[in-house]
Amino acid sequence: MALTLMKGSEAIAEAAIRNGARFFFGYPITPQTEIPEYMSARMPEIGGCYLQAESEVSAINMVYGAASTGARVITSSSSPGVSLKQEGISYCAGARLPCVILNVMRGGPGLGSIQASQGDYFQAVKGGGNGDYHLLTYAPASIQEAINIFSFAFDKAEKYRIPVLFLADGIMCQMMEPVEMPEMIDFKIDPEAKPWATTGFKPGDDPAKRAIINSLFINTEELTEHNNLLQATYREIEANEVMYETYLTEDADIVITAFGTVARIAKSAVNELRAQGIKAGLFRPITVWPFPYKELAEVTKNAKAVLDVEANEGQMLQDVKLAINGVLPVDYFGHCGSLMPTTAEIVAKVLEMKEGI
Amino acid sequence: MKKMYVLIGNYGSGKTELALNFAIKAAERGERTELLDLDMVNTYFRLTERGKMTRMKEIRLVSPNFACSGIETLSVPAEVASAFAMDWDTVVFDVGGDPTGANALGRYYQDFMALEEGALEVLNVVNTRRPLAGTVEKIVKLQQDMERYSRLKITGMINNTNLSTATSEADLRDGYEIIKQVSIETGKPVLYTSGKKEFLDKFLAEGHDPKYIGTPIAIDTYMQRDWDSWIDGLQ
Repeated sequence: MALTLMKGSEAIAEAAIRNGARFFFGYPITPQTEIPEYMSARMPEIGGCYLQAESEVSAINMVYGAASTGARVITSSSSPGVSLKQEGISYCAGARLPCVILNVMRGGPGLGSIQASQGDYFQAVKGGGNGDYHLLTYAPASIQEAINIFSFAFDKAEKYRIPVLFLADGIMCQMMEPVEMPEMIDFKIDPEAKPWATTGFKPGDDPAKRAIINSLFINTEELTEHNNLLQATYREIEANEVMYETYLTEDADIVITAFGTVARIAKSAVNELRAQGIKAGLFRPITVWPFPYKELAEVTKNAKAVLDVEANEGQMLQDVKLAINGVLPVDYFGHCGSLMPTTAEIVAKVLEMKEGI
Repeated sequence: MKKMYVLIGNYGSGKTELALNFAIKAAERGERTELLDLDMVNTYFRLTERGKMTRMKEIRLVSPNFACSGIETLSVPAEVASAFAMDWDTVVFDVGGDPTGANALGRYYQDFMALEEGALEVLNVVNTRRPLAGTVEKIVKLQQDMERYSRLKITGMINNTNLSTATSEADLRDGYEIIKQVSIETGKPVLYTSGKKEFLDKFLAEGHDPKYIGTPIAIDTYMQRDWDSWIDGLQ
């Protein structure tokens, strides 16, 4: 299929649709307003539903409703909007509802700025809403990668009955790249495959098999059992779903860790450092939950130091340190005001670290 | 005579990059040049982010009020009037994408109409690799809508077909075929064909009808970012 030049927002929206999403609920917010805009034009064309809710709180609860029927549903927002959604996200996690949520991060805290940031890493992987839960969280670094992840995101969400989160930054949605779109899949709700879904209760059906979507377990034993089930699912995901990319790490003295757009800049820095004869490499988590702890430890076993680069105060840095577990020095470089680190800055930081090794 | 170029077109067709190229080339010829960022639609990747570079090239840049890349509500500054009132050799308008973006021009209808005949070129920048400008029908519709919203007649088209980092001469060729049809149907001439020099040269060597090529412009990329060199690496 031919390549087209697509904006991240358009491509992500189209990829969701091609993978069966027929419900979009959301509320506009820069830098992802083009996603609802695209959905508003596209959903009616394919018999789907686009609904602009009165707020992000409503939108995520509409997601809860649509996901309960076994349909493929998606919502998108940017940082402040995703904060508003947290209660509903926790409910979706608690009720084990498969759905896809996009956070196109902008500067924070509060209203912050409309420019790109990675400041919601903690919110994405360390909680966000209440309770012991996780979201299967992907941090794509290119538009094509986001499209590719969509080809299995709904499958994973349904397999584990878990909300999937796309953690992107504003640049991912605003930039344009050449991409190849997958074909439209023929998705239909299969009540047999989703006995948990509220697909219709007919007279004569066994009342015991009635699907109930719920996150309330008043009885503490029942809640414990429910949570044990959730935790077992998370352990299974940790064992099977970790994704990451390595670049020139085999002989690297300094391994840079970064995710999303920042990883691209870091990759340019690695190339520049290599050209100067410095053995630098890049480790890029594609899933930030589950975080590739073991893999990062393995990749860095012959390295001398690790540099974590982020467009935040150093949030993934904590996971990087957990992975390295004190074996190597771990340094950090970044900005937390929606200012992207530059190739030159990363190169300068590595050169400075090199002095100390 | 003052020459005024208004670049409109489908969202993502490459207007900003071309506007910079038009302005820089004019300034390098020693012309007094003004460049106006009239993009009221997009809040990322704006001309205004290249303010320092344009100043160094002695180009006067007019940006939206309080514009920096972080502003959400854009408004047209009074300073736009300088494009019409002052004595420039070359004026370039970088307009927002789609009919929505072209809307910002409507307010200057009387100013545009007061220009000398032949001073104004309203150019539709076309990139047929963009999904919403990928067919003759789509381009014709966009063209009609942009004329209606901007209250200006498009005087010609620019074939700027590209795939960003994955561009080759094949893109210019495919764009040529589609834009040629648009030109035959609408009577709008193809005034320019633009692209990076290496692809443009290869395309020109293929011997297509010059009538649907217009003036070739070898462009430099000024809007390049630190992350653009990255090659997709999903396992």
